[in-house]
Amino acid sequence: MSSSEAHVDNSIWMRAVLMGSTFLIIGILAFATMGVGMANIRHHDYEEAVHHYEDAKHDYEEAKANNASTEEIAQLKEEKDEAHHHEIDAHLSYLTWRTAGITILLMCITYASFIGLGGFVNSIQPDEDHSHASSSYGGDDHEHHGSGSPIIFALGIMLFLMGFPEFQATLSDMLSGNETELGGIGLSMLGLFVIVLGVSNWWREDLPFIGNGEQIATSAPFEGQHIRKAGLWVFIMSEIMVFATFFSSYLRMRTEWCTGWQVEAGNCEQVDMLTASDFLRPGGAELGGFGGQGDFMTLLPGAVNTFALIISSYTIVLALKTAKNANWEAPEGFMGKLMPTKKAAVRNYLIATLLLGSMFIVLKLIEWSHLVAEGFTIGTQAGSIFYISTGAHGLHVFIGLLVMLYLVFKADTVEFNEDNAQGIEYFGLYWHFVDLAWVVIFPAFYLY
Amino acid sequence: MGEHETHGIIENIFDGLLGKDIYFWNFIVLMVFTLFEVAAVFFSGIPLKTVWAILIGVGIVKGYGISAYFMHLKGDPRIYTRTALFPVVFVLLMLWGIGLSNPEGVTGLPAWCTPLSSDYATNR
Repeated sequence: MSSSEAHVDNSIWMRAVLMGSTFLIIGILAFATMGVGMANIRHHDYEEAVHHYEDAKHDYEEAKANNASTEEIAQLKEEKDEAHHHEIDAHLSYLTWRTAGITILLMCITYASFIGLGGFVNSIQPDEDHSHASSSYGGDDHEHHGSGSPIIFALGIMLFLMGFPEFQATLSDMLSGNETELGGIGLSMLGLFVIVLGVSNWWREDLPFIGNGEQIATSAPFEGQHIRKAGLWVFIMSEIMVFATFFSSYLRMRTEWCTGWQVEAGNCEQVDMLTASDFLRPGGAELGGFGGQGDFMTLLPGAVNTFALIISSYTIVLALKTAKNANWEAPEGFMGKLMPTKKAAVRNYLIATLLLGSMFIVLKLIEWSHLVAEGFTIGTQAGSIFYISTGAHGLHVFIGLLVMLYLVFKADTVEFNEDNAQGIEYFGLYWHFVDLAWVVIFPAFYLY
Repeated sequence: MGEHETHGIIENIFDGLLGKDIYFWNFIVLMVFTLFEVAAVFFSGIPLKTVWAILIGVGIVKGYGISAYFMHLKGDPRIYTRTALFPVVFVLLMLWGIGLSNPEGVTGLPAWCTPLSSDYATNR
């Protein structure tokens, strides 16, 4: 082992497996309580509400057929509408619990696979193989902190995507109970295997990194700057372009639609398209009795998510600030109990970021399930651009969460300090960009 | 991100105010402006253009707060700001050239929104 790296024992790698198991248990518990227990109670309420609505509708139709008095018909109509609203509320309540349970389970399975498999692959190597001499870059103390793993990772992604159409079709057949040929998932499974290898190797190279050997650019325009940071900014530059394509497509489509706003502004006469914001914001437009007109509760998930992303941006700043602070002292009172040591403080700030990001995904899928239930699907013109744009953003959040898992693991084992905190800084840049993209997406799709 | 030193008018006012650093105050500003943004759509009497102005104004403030302080473009070498701004040229071109050049666009789309051909400014 050289002085430029920390030694990482197998026992440390095994903690990743333990962490993965913990996520699995959390996921199963959440699914059992929310996705099954609460959802079944709500489903029972929903079924009762459906029966109540059917009865109210039947009474109303019968009163109309029997030429009942106007007052009686009006009262029955009011009861029918109330029962209908109650039925919708009960359905959405059921969807909330069911979606939350399933989403948390799937997220925890992914977290467990990601952190558990990476830890397992590294833990099965002999202890001495984790020493510096076995690293890919020779044995001197001036090695760089570069890695070939992203290329392996990218190759895995390529194989996965090449096989994805068949992978998806095979899985659909399996879920439908149709006859399937398992060979169809071969290429994608190979891709996933290569991804796991790439990620595991990446971790093996990065976990012992204690801050020596950061590569510095030697030529313009980034001369003197950390190459990883410059690379991250170039990556963010490309990401800005990706989100700009979504936004310009949305703008082009939006100028064509006669929305509630356009009618109010006097630019056209009749609403011909319901946007996501019509379903989500208070006072949204209606179209022939079909959907629209959100309220405080429909906007709540998106609004809470906006605050969650801002808070998570701040917690990651606090994690970096703490890691970089050589004279850190434990705070007093309750915070002192939460963060008795610098190591615990950095780890807990990262865990807080992870929890906020996970909450973002859960709330987003709850919101989507409600929108789909109300008829705002990806099959509509407004739905396609909404789901693709917010889905692409959600995917960025989720990928960020997978990276954050590793940062939590590193903070809990090797520890971040003023020398090796670049990992948090560079990840933070990505995370802030995700927040920045939401600053545009939220008002454009949810409020306007 | 966190560990940098910046000195400007805003930093001089906020950094150290009530014992809190610039990142804390940036966080507070972002939270307050988000509250303002969400609240704007709850007031039914506000005209469309005012809501637009609020949303765009708040977006600019929040975007600046995140990129200048949390991403620390303010305080880092200028090359990072230039890198971040480089795609903005293309983004603006894309918004202008694609987003607002819809041949079936809304009534009265001004001619400057329709590059290459003023015929695009059609009436519905």
